[in-house]
Amino acid sequence: MLNLIKEKFSLLNKPDRHIAPLAVLRMAFGSIMLVSVVRFLLKGWVYAFYIKPKYHFTFYGFDWVKPFDAMGMYLLFAILIIASILVTIGLFYRIAISTFFLCFTYVELIDKTTYLNHYYFISVMAFLMILVPASRYFSVDVLRKPKLKITYVPRWAIDIFKLQLFLVYFFAGLSKLNYDWLIAAMPLRIWLPASSHLPVIGGLLTQLWVAYLFCWFGALFDLSIGFLLLNPKTRKIAYLLVIVFHLATAWFFKIGMFPYIMIFVTIVFFSENTHRKIINYLGNIFSKANTISTTDNINSFYQISVSKKRIIYTLLVLHFTIQLLLPFRYLLYPGKLYWTEEGYRFSWRVMLMEKGGTVFFHVKNPQTGKRTEIINSQYLTDFQESQMSTQPDMILQFAHILAADYQKRGIKNPIVTAESYVTLNGSGSRLYIDSAANLANEQDSFDHKKWILPFHNNN
Amino acid sequence: MRIKFIYPALIVLIAMAAFQACKKSGSSPNSNGTGFDRVGMLKNLSTNIIIPGYVSFQASVVSLDSSITAFNASPDITKLGNLQTTFKIAYEKWQAVSTFDFGPASNENLRISLNTFPADVNQITTNVSSGSYNLASLSALPAEGFPAIDYLLFGIGADNNAILVQYTTDSQAANRKAYLAAVSAIIKTKITNVLSAWKTTYPATFLAASGTDVGSSVGQLTNELNEDFEVIKNYEIGIPAGTESMGTTFPNKVQAYYSKISLQLTLLHLLAIQNIYLGQSAAGNGLGFDDYLVSAKATYNGGSLNDAITTQFATATAKLQALSDPLANQITTNLTGVTAAYTALQLQTVLLKTDMPSALGILITYGDTDGD
Repeated sequence: MLNLIKEKFSLLNKPDRHIAPLAVLRMAFGSIMLVSVVRFLLKGWVYAFYIKPKYHFTFYGFDWVKPFDAMGMYLLFAILIIASILVTIGLFYRIAISTFFLCFTYVELIDKTTYLNHYYFISVMAFLMILVPASRYFSVDVLRKPKLKITYVPRWAIDIFKLQLFLVYFFAGLSKLNYDWLIAAMPLRIWLPASSHLPVIGGLLTQLWVAYLFCWFGALFDLSIGFLLLNPKTRKIAYLLVIVFHLATAWFFKIGMFPYIMIFVTIVFFSENTHRKIINYLGNIFSKANTISTTDNINSFYQISVSKKRIIYTLLVLHFTIQLLLPFRYLLYPGKLYWTEEGYRFSWRVMLMEKGGTVFFHVKNPQTGKRTEIINSQYLTDFQESQMSTQPDMILQFAHILAADYQKRGIKNPIVTAESYVTLNGSGSRLYIDSAANLANEQDSFDHKKWILPFHNNN
Repeated sequence: MRIKFIYPALIVLIAMAAFQACKKSGSSPNSNGTGFDRVGMLKNLSTNIIIPGYVSFQASVVSLDSSITAFNASPDITKLGNLQTTFKIAYEKWQAVSTFDFGPASNENLRISLNTFPADVNQITTNVSSGSYNLASLSALPAEGFPAIDYLLFGIGADNNAILVQYTTDSQAANRKAYLAAVSAIIKTKITNVLSAWKTTYPATFLAASGTDVGSSVGQLTNELNEDFEVIKNYEIGIPAGTESMGTTFPNKVQAYYSKISLQLTLLHLLAIQNIYLGQSAAGNGLGFDDYLVSAKATYNGGSLNDAITTQFATATAKLQALSDPLANQITTNLTGVTAAYTALQLQTVLLKTDMPSALGILITYGDTDGD
């Protein structure tokens, strides 16, 4: 099986594709990352998300990831800014993109409170970009060392990005094929009327049929856009759809940079001619670069050693195998996915849930039988508390934080319970966690969490 | 050929981004046909509840301040009685506006400045005896506002005769009078600033932010309504009843411990929040969150969410009414009753904090959300 895939890859290995799409992708990704990181800083989120909180919710197996002090965190973001600039202009590219990947992923691993598919997507893209020679054309690296310049790369170097984007859209579409989205028009029938103050279309958003239209169009868009972008005949109209669709979501929902990132990176689907024209155009603006990079009088081909190739192929096969399987891991868990969220993350599930919760934690002294209710805000920020209250693994982590804190205060083996109420897609709140379970004794794992109460639809 | 398509696409992109950037300050939102009239709700709440509430509260603070001036000029038992009465009235009026801690009130840190309790008696005593203090600092919060006056007017003597002595013949009488005046002056300045903003520019801002995100007026109202509701649940009832201290009760941590009107204030406070929810005022029953939830057809446990919330307001009120002032005594003698009230408040917390915003799509935290 593995050999077969490897063989397929070697077919993709002939350096017969022009490198221009990679150079454009490098600049598009680098520049939009620069904007994203600067925006994050200007919003004060480095402080709010990574410096202010006393505790953090790390990912399973990543509890060694700790935030740095204020100075260190800002330094990390300074490095991200520099790395984004270097990636954009193509200077010390491999070091820059590797640094970006590592620093960005580290920041994301500090606290799952801030987890977004967008951030995961950025990490994945940055990882893939480490593997390709994106700065060997139209870059400062080439200006610096002209002999680095190449004009042709194997097609896998470009196609891995198309594949990745295809998977993102397609899985996002698959995840919409369910009752809540298609039949109940949830959560859009809640979210769209919330934007009824918008000019021009505000009134429309309160209509139920508009919510259905959005749901069905959204699912159809996600499922088909990958195919439409791949097909040269439909590509232009598909890209127009990408722009309209993402701008519409940007307008209605608070989803930050994601729409713009997608609009930028899906340019990679265009033909190499289009990309060469983009580069020519940019070259005309920066006339200095123009003199050396856009004329391809000598063709040179991307060559790498067999051992390097082997490493890259292995990484790619591993990566895409994981990408294909990860979104289906939820099938291994019982219960309603949106309710338990077991196997929910890292699966391109977006905009599927309007979920809210309130949780009261109680710490009981087993010696005296006396118990105390926790004021969550004494431990967590508002953002952490609201994310925690609907996600079982975070509830468990917070219970452990409380157990450790009360242990330190001299209570031996404190009993920590959670009285937790959650509402999902307009269901109305109901008990979420078994209030009798001593969460201090429960360990996180990939197993099903038996102390999550099943979701009963009683409406 | 293809590149030609990129240009218009980029232009559209930039134009949309520019449109995005200025949409907040742009055209004024009109209320929509079939959807809920959020602007109408904001109008009702600001015109009939918030502004009249502030007007009446500010007047009571002015009268409290002049009672203090009169008392300080020549303290006697009648003036002390008058002062105590005006204090109680102002503290009662405060309950009606405690919720609105956004915009102008947030600029003044109104809620924590006026009502951080229990009062820090040691700090007040030290301040009075030294005669030098900085009430603008954060650590001074428990030594100022209504809780400080509550202590200074009711807590420094066994009866009014003993209290009067503290302002007449006591060696620190002058310092004490000065402290009382200083605390009152801060309250007066802050509420006067808040009222003047609400009487001039702020209502326009309030009505214009008619969305549902964190910075919108509905978002801020929802957030503060919940924060304030938790003040009732945690600070007025829970903490004194020992819910957060392994069952050890702290009767002296109730609101208005010295004037012994705790329960009366809590009932007014709860009623105020209920009125905001219902859009209920002297002008009648206008648009409120209840109408909003009804129009969104929000459900809870098979019935309507609005019914559940309205019922729970009634339940919580009934449980509180079953108690009697002084609340501190009830905590010692009737903890079961106090705990029952607490439990009723707790369920309402869930409905107001989780069900209501979730049913209306109101964002209550900042940060990006997952998009498509």
